[in-house]
Amino acid sequence: MIFNVINYSRCFLERKTTILLLLSVVFFFAPGDAAAQKKFSKTYPASQNVRLQLLNRSGTVTVEGWDRQEVSISAYLEAPAANVAPQSLSGTIYINLVKDNQGRGDVGSVNFTIRVPYDSKVDIETKVGNLNVSNIRGGFVRAHISSDGDITLTNIASGVVSAQNGIGNIFFDGEIQSGGNYRFTSMRGDINLRIPSNSAFRLVATAPSTRNINFGSFPGGNMRFGDGRRVVGQFGDGSATMTVTNQRGSIAFIRR
Amino acid sequence: MNCEECQENLSVYLDGELDETLSMLVRTHLTLCMECAKLCEDFAVILDTCQTEPPSEIIPPNSQALWCRISNTLEGDIKPPVAEQPRGGWRFSFLQVGSAVLGVALISSLLTVVGIRNYFEPSGEDFTSRSAVTQTTFEKILSKVGLADTPFEARLRRMKEQESAISYWDNRVQAQRAKWDNKMRDAFDRNLNEINQTVNEYTMILQQNPDDDLSGEMLDSALNDKMNLLRDFSEL
Repeated sequence: MIFNVINYSRCFLERKTTILLLLSVVFFFAPGDAAAQKKFSKTYPASQNVRLQLLNRSGTVTVEGWDRQEVSISAYLEAPAANVAPQSLSGTIYINLVKDNQGRGDVGSVNFTIRVPYDSKVDIETKVGNLNVSNIRGGFVRAHISSDGDITLTNIASGVVSAQNGIGNIFFDGEIQSGGNYRFTSMRGDINLRIPSNSAFRLVATAPSTRNINFGSFPGGNMRFGDGRRVVGQFGDGSATMTVTNQRGSIAFIRR
Repeated sequence: MNCEECQENLSVYLDGELDETLSMLVRTHLTLCMECAKLCEDFAVILDTCQTEPPSEIIPPNSQALWCRISNTLEGDIKPPVAEQPRGGWRFSFLQVGSAVLGVALISSLLTVVGIRNYFEPSGEDFTSRSAVTQTTFEKILSKVGLADTPFEARLRRMKEQESAISYWDNRVQAQRAKWDNKMRDAFDRNLNEINQTVNEYTMILQQNPDDDLSGEMLDSALNDKMNLLRDFSEL
């Protein structure tokens, strides 16, 4: 009986040593990973109708509207860390990672979180990666992805909205302003537009490959469907203009 | 004789053309008045110089030719009198006038109709993506007489321009892509492949049905997308 207790204690001690050893290995490598990702932060005072113009290489960009008159930029830089040098010139915040890293071959992704006043104009672009914009009611919102990536625009009340990507989904949730211009273009992916039921706009929706243009609970009475590849028509008094093109994907309208 | 009278007669006196009485009075005054005597002396020097200088320096080498040139210049500046237009040169028959009025009315109507159609029905389509089916009569006439491209010709021309731009940006991308990381390269290749598939798809459709407007428009759009993708990645 005593022998068993000694054996059990020895076994427990051995296990404890192994666990401690493993933990030390984990802690040894953990700071290395944290060091690989740098953080960049900067805040600028913002004038009325400030404009944000961002060109990223790769990574996710998130722009959120807030109730402060300042622009807050946070960026997580993956190794090898990119140069980030924002500039504030006559009411516009410029961030151009392509220019700032010209000639550098290997540059890690940069994930931005930028907070801007609600009434800001937002113009963001990336070569690869997702773009998210929310809570903006400034003059315009433009989100452009050169290749892969999803675009998510939520709670947008701008008169001019443009979203374009290569392979990826586009989701828009916002208002259609009278006299506004809305353009959504994708090569392959799903385009989902969540708008109020009383929205008034002239529509040209084209999905030539899938012929999948879905109006959900929106009345399609004023629409000309043709052979199904393109739908042209008008909602309400048609004061705004909406052009939706999806070369090899679907288009769907959802009531807000 | 006072100074004023003396100076008035000085020139004639020096020329020797003054009568004897006046000449004596002038001479007397000149002996008494130093100022007039000085003036007379200056005057005499000028006259003497004029008389002693060789005539070649005063008269131009070919004075006749000079006068001819001056005369020609003066005559050139004087505008010749405008010849009176003969009256009653335009004479038309009633038939000619009628035809002209009819022609003007026809052209005006045609232009008005085209203008109104363009104003109220902006096509919103690029001419390059249109087919012969949707071509207006006016456009057909212009194409027939060679004043405008047919939609097919316009599309071919546009495609040629796009292909040349694509080739330019493609060369730049090929020079750069070795520097990209794998993620970037994969994303680029995947998107380029997608666009190429789309281009092939619409090219085939258009070969079967050249009058398919929408496919023409989509092909144009896909080629633009390809050009933009190459341009966007060429700057990396």
